[in-house]
Amino acid sequence: MRRRPFFLTFLVPSILIAVIFLAALGNVLQYSFRAFIPGSLDVGGFTLENFSRLAKPIYFWVLVDTFVISLATAVFTLLLSYPVAYALVRTRSNGLRTLLVVLSITPLFTGEIVRTYAWMLVLGSDGFLNTMLRSWGLITRPIPLMYTELGVIIALVQFSMPVMIILLATAISHIDRDYEKAAANLGAAPAKVFWTVTLPLSMPGIVSGTVVIFAWTMSAFSTPQLIGGGKVLMISNLVYLQGLSSFNFPFAAVLSLIALLAAIGSLAAMRPFTLRLERKAALH
Amino acid sequence: MLRKTIFWLVVALILVYMTIPAAVVLMTSVSPSELLEFPPSGFSLRWYGRALGYDDFQAAFVNGLIVTAIASTTALLIGSGFAYLVDRYRFPGRGALEGILASPLIIPHFTTGLGFLLLGSRLGLAQSYVLVAAAHVMLVLPFVTRSVYVSLRNLDPNLERSAANLGASPWRVLRRVTMPLMVPGMVGGWIVAAILSFTEFTASLYVTAYRTQTLPVAMYTYIREYTDPTIAAISALLILVTIVVVILADRFLGLRRILSIDRS
Amino acid sequence: MGRDMEMRVREREPATLGDEGASAVEIVGATRQFGPVVAVNEVSLSVRRGEVLTLLGPSGCGKTTLLNMIAGFELPDSGFIRIDGRDVTEVPPYQRDTGMVFQNYALFPHMTVFENVAFGLRMRGLPAAKVKDEVGRALEMVKLSGLGERRIRQLSGGQQQRIALARAIVIRPKVLLLDEPLSALDKNLRGQMQVELKELHQKTGLTTVFVTHDQGEALSLSDRVVVMNRGEIQQVSTPIELYRNPVNSFVASFVGEINRLPPARHMRRGRELLLEFPQGVQLVTSAPPRDFEEGRKVHIFVRPENVTIVPAVEDLRPNVVRGRVVTHIYQGSHTVTRVEVTGLGPIELRMRGGEVMKQAPVGANVGVEIDLSEAVFMSE
Repeated sequence: MRRRPFFLTFLVPSILIAVIFLAALGNVLQYSFRAFIPGSLDVGGFTLENFSRLAKPIYFWVLVDTFVISLATAVFTLLLSYPVAYALVRTRSNGLRTLLVVLSITPLFTGEIVRTYAWMLVLGSDGFLNTMLRSWGLITRPIPLMYTELGVIIALVQFSMPVMIILLATAISHIDRDYEKAAANLGAAPAKVFWTVTLPLSMPGIVSGTVVIFAWTMSAFSTPQLIGGGKVLMISNLVYLQGLSSFNFPFAAVLSLIALLAAIGSLAAMRPFTLRLERKAALH
Repeated sequence: MLRKTIFWLVVALILVYMTIPAAVVLMTSVSPSELLEFPPSGFSLRWYGRALGYDDFQAAFVNGLIVTAIASTTALLIGSGFAYLVDRYRFPGRGALEGILASPLIIPHFTTGLGFLLLGSRLGLAQSYVLVAAAHVMLVLPFVTRSVYVSLRNLDPNLERSAANLGASPWRVLRRVTMPLMVPGMVGGWIVAAILSFTEFTASLYVTAYRTQTLPVAMYTYIREYTDPTIAAISALLILVTIVVVILADRFLGLRRILSIDRS
Repeated sequence: MGRDMEMRVREREPATLGDEGASAVEIVGATRQFGPVVAVNEVSLSVRRGEVLTLLGPSGCGKTTLLNMIAGFELPDSGFIRIDGRDVTEVPPYQRDTGMVFQNYALFPHMTVFENVAFGLRMRGLPAAKVKDEVGRALEMVKLSGLGERRIRQLSGGQQQRIALARAIVIRPKVLLLDEPLSALDKNLRGQMQVELKELHQKTGLTTVFVTHDQGEALSLSDRVVVMNRGEIQQVSTPIELYRNPVNSFVASFVGEINRLPPARHMRRGRELLLEFPQGVQLVTSAPPRDFEEGRKVHIFVRPENVTIVPAVEDLRPNVVRGRVVTHIYQGSHTVTRVEVTGLGPIELRMRGGEVMKQAPVGANVGVEIDLSEAVFMSE
């Protein structure tokens, strides 16, 4: 008792909630092995049919598409987020930093629906972008962005930037400025200092940020759902169609399982890289 | 000098990209017309009136408050306790438990949602608030735990030793020294949890029924049926509220430190 | 006689008194191990009521672990601890009635100065009026009355240290424990605080155990000093005894500056002891401390203040050896000079003022006179 006060008091609720969660996931696992009975919410006996269905081209390509979209999103998010994160950390003006923090973080808290709807307003053929471009005489016909992969990616990138900015900003803020000063002292121009010192030292943040966004985007839902409008299908949309439209819970469960494994898998695969990079950059 | 200007120009453009959606929403919300027009032809608050008066939205708002209150408070209690555990004690299975409780960060929300839906149906809870709250607790718990954990890590262990040395029993040390110093982390975590729960959509789509639907779900249903700017009005309200909360949280709680952006 | 003192742990005064009432703290056979590292190795020690006892040693010697054992933050793997005659080995820290001042002060940041100092009293259930009185008195004792309502972050380092002290003494603990309390202060402040700590002790009479790695501090503040190395007690003595009669070469080199001469062959010549060094250098002492075993060399430690520079021509006098001046380190009140001495190696000496720099500039050939009357002799 003297050694570990409060141990049980804090442990029991945590274990309880963990068990509940495992039960929920367990159901998903279990349903994926059960047969679908069309028109009914009940499920039949043990079967592997749901898994073999995955190999069908339409479903398989959805998986591939999800992967490609997630990768593209992660890369573009990185490219756009780095300058903002750098500015946020390095600016000397406190007011500017607050502004950047607010602008970066707030979108994260407004919720998917709001943000997705906002992009609908921007990307539609009568939307903001097209209307503006038309009124400036740059185009005569609306650019189709809604219901296209490009449109989905544009929205997803903006979705992911807050998280990427936070991760990058953390990594950049931990870089000891003395390294940059030393490089400058030894004759490196500012651009050189950036490419040879700052960027490499922020690599752990870059890698973990990219991996996180990749995994996160794999499970994106509302964006492909509303902006893709059925034309762009990611795993999440397929789960929705199967689960809440067709009530084919078994297949929805399989798809959910695959999505889960893909997310965990991509993170696990990156771990050796991130660890090695973190060790390289952590010289202190 | 030129280099700096280009840099800031690029940053500015990126920021425009980041904020355009919100700006467009705000613009649309005050447009008098049912159709989209940019810039809006006038100024009207009719959509706000419609949004606030819409039955489904009102009910959904209340549902959201109920679910969020239950979920974020429960997550706060469990998460703080768990953070304390992880900070101080080693025990068999600790890694596994940490992994399980952090996994909602990685697991797709629809997987979690589907899982809880299936579990809920099994237990006959399919139409209840409990189901929704339980799913939300799982989803926001990692944020609370992390926030509290950070503030525990920054706690000087000598402070608790000193209190014990001066005669405080473990319970008194917790109450008078540890917890007061954990409060910033707890409050920050609670706020993040509340916001995330209130605006959560994907998992909620699965675990809510018409009776218990939260605001995001109600909004989704509306979007699929109607195209008028009512949603813009509600979205604008949510955006404005969030901005205020974030600014306050940063000013008073050091949101930056909680998210580990600050150098200190 | 002729005992070999070098390796034996020796105390000048007994560690455990027969009369338990007079010892405030008793540590008996305490051992603490962290993995393969033995931090404290079967240490036994007795702290007399009202004395100031310092645990002195290099980092890792076990002094802080020992202090934490008294406070209850470390449990000994074996052995036991008694405070005021009561066995407290199994008693948790909050029931031991010790008062500890941490190295980083550990003042509660979310409480005012008053609340910090009052904390221990409130834990003991003292009524509010009494608390107010006692806190006021404690603050007065550390010369910080009137700062009760300040926040901790508004205080300077020196002020924080005094508040930490006040907080510990106000509860009138059975023993006051100080963990390197002055290490965070700058030099001037440290000197000042040393004086104040002494005055404070005179006023309160609290049994005090001090931990430090600074031997100057230990010598100036303590009634007795316990020198530790690698988890074991090397010597327990008063400061003067420690300086004059270190019991082994570790203590000799650790406390104060000292010159260690190369091992010498010894030969008796009537009542004198002749010591032979390399290169034919000979030193003689007319009052050898004792006999040394045949065949064993003698180690001699000489304090810098017992060495002087004389003009080279006087090198025919006994105990004057030739040398060449290597460096001078001027310190204001005195100068530390290093001389490369024939047969004896580099010798440091200390002379008042700075004239020596002119009289014997760097590179000059000089005579070095070594006074062995206070030297420490040890057998190999």
